[in-house]
Amino acid sequence: MISLKGVNEFKNNAMAILFLALCFPGMAQAQATASSLGSQSLGRPYWHVFTAYAIAWLLVLLWMVAISRRLGRIEDRVGSAVRD
Amino acid sequence: MNNEKAKKVSLFFGVLGVATVLLLHYMVFFWVPTESSMGIVQRIFYIHVPSWWVAFIAFGAVALCSGVYLWLGDDRLDAAAVTAAEGGMIFTSIGLLTGPLWGKIAWGAWWTWEPRLTLALLLWFIYLGYFLVRRSTLNPERGKRLAAVVGIIGVLDIPLIHVSVSWLRSLHPEAVVLNPDGPTLDGSMLATLMVGLLAYTLIFISLFTMRYTTEVLDRATRVQST
Repeated sequence: MISLKGVNEFKNNAMAILFLALCFPGMAQAQATASSLGSQSLGRPYWHVFTAYAIAWLLVLLWMVAISRRLGRIEDRVGSAVRD
Repeated sequence: MNNEKAKKVSLFFGVLGVATVLLLHYMVFFWVPTESSMGIVQRIFYIHVPSWWVAFIAFGAVALCSGVYLWLGDDRLDAAAVTAAEGGMIFTSIGLLTGPLWGKIAWGAWWTWEPRLTLALLLWFIYLGYFLVRRSTLNPERGKRLAAVVGIIGVLDIPLIHVSVSWLRSLHPEAVVLNPDGPTLDGSMLATLMVGLLAYTLIFISLFTMRYTTEVLDRATRVQST
């Protein structure tokens, strides 16, 4: 019998950690407005930088969500096999 | 590798990876100096290069696992290859999307059909083909073998991407780290880039381990249920 409990615990922990990492660029942007960067207007190059970082972490998050969904399907399959 | 061990390995690399990512963001946004000619947009470099670094590692792993799979026929190697290919596609996509965001500011164009960009896009399509070939046959085993061949052929594009800047007429900036004369980057920029490479590598190892375990579990439960 394959145990999925450990993998699911990991999934939850990892999702929480990644969420924090994703928040960080936003925090950095907010802090930038209060530092020396804030004396300049957030022109187009800044938005390109922030968009690039957001895209990077969004794609990593999407991969993680895809893995989690796949795990969920396996769990359902194992669960139904056990019930049968 | 059993579930518990995989969980520990994945969590270990995941925590290390996220900690390194936080350090990377601090260095990129608060520590590293702004490059004098390109300005703030040069900071995209610190995720653009690591994404290609990881993509090349991933596709190298695909070729290696595919080659040994064709030789030994071990299904775990095919599982590792398909896992690495999936990760490679993710990080290639990051590279292909972040590059134009830099290019629009630096070159004034989102995209240009110059050699490195074209070869990089070709790499993405080759590995898209890897997944399509896997599903294109009625016999799954045949699909796996055909995909393994695509995985091996596809990796040949990587050295071409690397040398395209120096061998062909290319707009893309030349290598600043793997340069025959040694790294030409400022020390703090090189340090930030190295942290980026480490962060992305750790994140990839963590997600690869989790995805590989899922793939092996998926195949095992399919066999059990049939």
